[in-house]
Amino acid sequence: MSYDKRNRMEDLVIFPGEQEVEKYVYTPGIHGLEFAKGLKEGKILGMKCHDKIYVPPKTFCPDFTQGELVEINDEWILVSYTIVYQDMYKNNLSSPRIVGVVKPKNAETGLIHLLNVPLDKLEIGIKLKPVFRPTNERKGTINDIKYFELS
Amino acid sequence: MSSKINKLPGIKLKENEMYSLIGLVEDMPQAKYDFAAGTTISKFLQGLKEGKILGRKCPKCGRIFVPPRSYCEWCHVATNEWVEVPQTGEIHTAVITYISTKREKIEKPEVVGTIKLDVPGYRDGEYEFAGLFHKICVDPQDVISGKAIGMKVKVKWKPKEERTGSILDIECFEPL
Amino acid sequence: MRSNIFMKDRVAIVGAGLTTFMRRALETPRELAWEAAKMALDSAGLTLKDIDCVVIGSAPDTFDGMHFKGEYLADGSGAINKPMTRVYVGGGTGVFVPESAYWHIASGVCKKVLVIAEEKMSPAHPHPQYVFKYIWDPIIERPLGPNLIWIFAMEMRRYMAKCGAKKEDIALVSVKNKRNALDHPAALTAANITVDDVLKSETLVWPVNLLDVSPVTDGAAALVMTSENVAREITDTPVWVDGIGFTLENQHWYNRELAFPRYLNHAARMAYKMAGIERPWKEIDVAEPYDPFDYKELHHIEGLMLARPCEAWKLVKEGYFNRDGELPTSPSGGLLGVGNPIAAAGTMKVAELFWQLRYEAGKRQVKKPVHKAVANAWGDLMQAGTVIVLSN
Repeated sequence: MSYDKRNRMEDLVIFPGEQEVEKYVYTPGIHGLEFAKGLKEGKILGMKCHDKIYVPPKTFCPDFTQGELVEINDEWILVSYTIVYQDMYKNNLSSPRIVGVVKPKNAETGLIHLLNVPLDKLEIGIKLKPVFRPTNERKGTINDIKYFELS
Repeated sequence: MSSKINKLPGIKLKENEMYSLIGLVEDMPQAKYDFAAGTTISKFLQGLKEGKILGRKCPKCGRIFVPPRSYCEWCHVATNEWVEVPQTGEIHTAVITYISTKREKIEKPEVVGTIKLDVPGYRDGEYEFAGLFHKICVDPQDVISGKAIGMKVKVKWKPKEERTGSILDIECFEPL
Repeated sequence: MRSNIFMKDRVAIVGAGLTTFMRRALETPRELAWEAAKMALDSAGLTLKDIDCVVIGSAPDTFDGMHFKGEYLADGSGAINKPMTRVYVGGGTGVFVPESAYWHIASGVCKKVLVIAEEKMSPAHPHPQYVFKYIWDPIIERPLGPNLIWIFAMEMRRYMAKCGAKKEDIALVSVKNKRNALDHPAALTAANITVDDVLKSETLVWPVNLLDVSPVTDGAAALVMTSENVAREITDTPVWVDGIGFTLENQHWYNRELAFPRYLNHAARMAYKMAGIERPWKEIDVAEPYDPFDYKELHHIEGLMLARPCEAWKLVKEGYFNRDGELPTSPSGGLLGVGNPIAAAGTMKVAELFWQLRYEAGKRQVKKPVHKAVANAWGDLMQAGTVIVLSN
């Protein structure tokens, strides 16, 4: 029984409302705090569980034991990618952005990030390295890495 | 457990410690909503604009619901009749509030409560009744002393030109 | 006299875990869930591989600012690649989560279930109370600008008027619970206060004062539940779940008598019938009624039929409900003393009864011998009643 189809819009009352919470503050967590400190120093940390490595570090392993923090010095491989032309609100971007899933070669999991690779070289399996922003611009977030490019 | 373990897991933070954490992320949500009143409540609100309180009657048990509902939850049938109900009732409970929705102190304390309306169809002393939640224009001292509980009240309407078809068209409930 | 219900296999609780209850935690919600779950598994001597199914309970996503809370908490709860259920009835979730695990086991689908209830309220700024604006009906209630404490105050005022209780009598519950909580390692607001302190604290909505209310909290609690055969292999002292009850009322709280929680009474009758208890005021040894506000404990004691309607406030004065009394209630310190992470608070109470029934509660152990216990939780807009009956 749709009101507009029956032409009784003047009978329907609508009240506008808004989400009241002004902001959410998310704490990084136990390993998350170390990961953030590492990013500020220009390092990427991962977690070692028995013999497997997971990036980013999550404090607990899949079998619930506590993981050990390790620095990732391995080379990064491109697992998948996509090219983005519009932003979240359907506005066209000034230049297309390439986003990819990147993973250290010997780790189980990786991250997503921006890629600075020319389109003709873009292929699954290429080797990449992270490029950090200058030290004074780093804040301890994932954006401290500017992008990944060919190594 | 407790007799053996002294310290439980969990890392506490004070507010300034939290804000100085590296890796803290802040995000602003952006959600807006349009709530439709529905067919039954829309008619109820139009009734308020005209200075009437409307209830809806169940054909099977005879209960009149205020605020109106399009079905009777005890008989599981649709209610079928609009009834104008008396605008008097008695105070079921009342409290004095010193804080706003956002937990801030308000300048003048308000008295709010639930009012049991003099609506026929309910047995005496029954658990449910027809009623409304609204402001009450009564002396806060009467709430504290208990004089307000059970006091007979009637609706005080806003002036006709100020009514818009919302629950606030009733200004408050005042003693008879 | 046992009731005529055919149950293939009894269900037992064999382990419990708890994080500290804090105002603001460093851990992400996943890490809180992991800490509690790990402690519960260790106490039962099991590892994650042994668990068949996982049940998660967590309250509104709007506190954390993360949608799909159940899925988000899944890896911290060990639910990856396992059957997982998320249940939610507001504050009633705390007791509803072990009830849901009960169905999983009693139906024969799972033999060992990990139960986790977690809540992180601190991310919502400026204050988590803003989230409570959403429970009100947007047309009939929100324009009046209500605050959640108004409803509790209205219920308390009605209880006081109908039963003749005074604020000083009800404040005794807050004094008792905060003092009990001094012996609880996870407690957030344990304190040695007097009735005067409660009455002199800030009046929020008369008759509710600041010390009548439980605090905003982050925390998690977990249990391990198994079927009867498995329980007997793991431990000599399993705690049996004898009865469960859950009922939902409508949201029109202004259309009903506020001095007695009828929905809780229905849920309690359901649980007692399953457990074969006919006179709860005589047969129950220890109880953990849900106490977000001090008068709520009295309200729930009457709903659970542990005292006659309008009698509970008189019994508090006599010390009937103290730890060394006839029927100790909230020996843990309850929500007033330990804290109120919305979903995890009820599970904290069930964990407390688990330790009480095994005589492992240390300084909190009640004086009398205990065999049967009941815990309840309450949720939503004066709607949900959940009750669980345990025995050893």
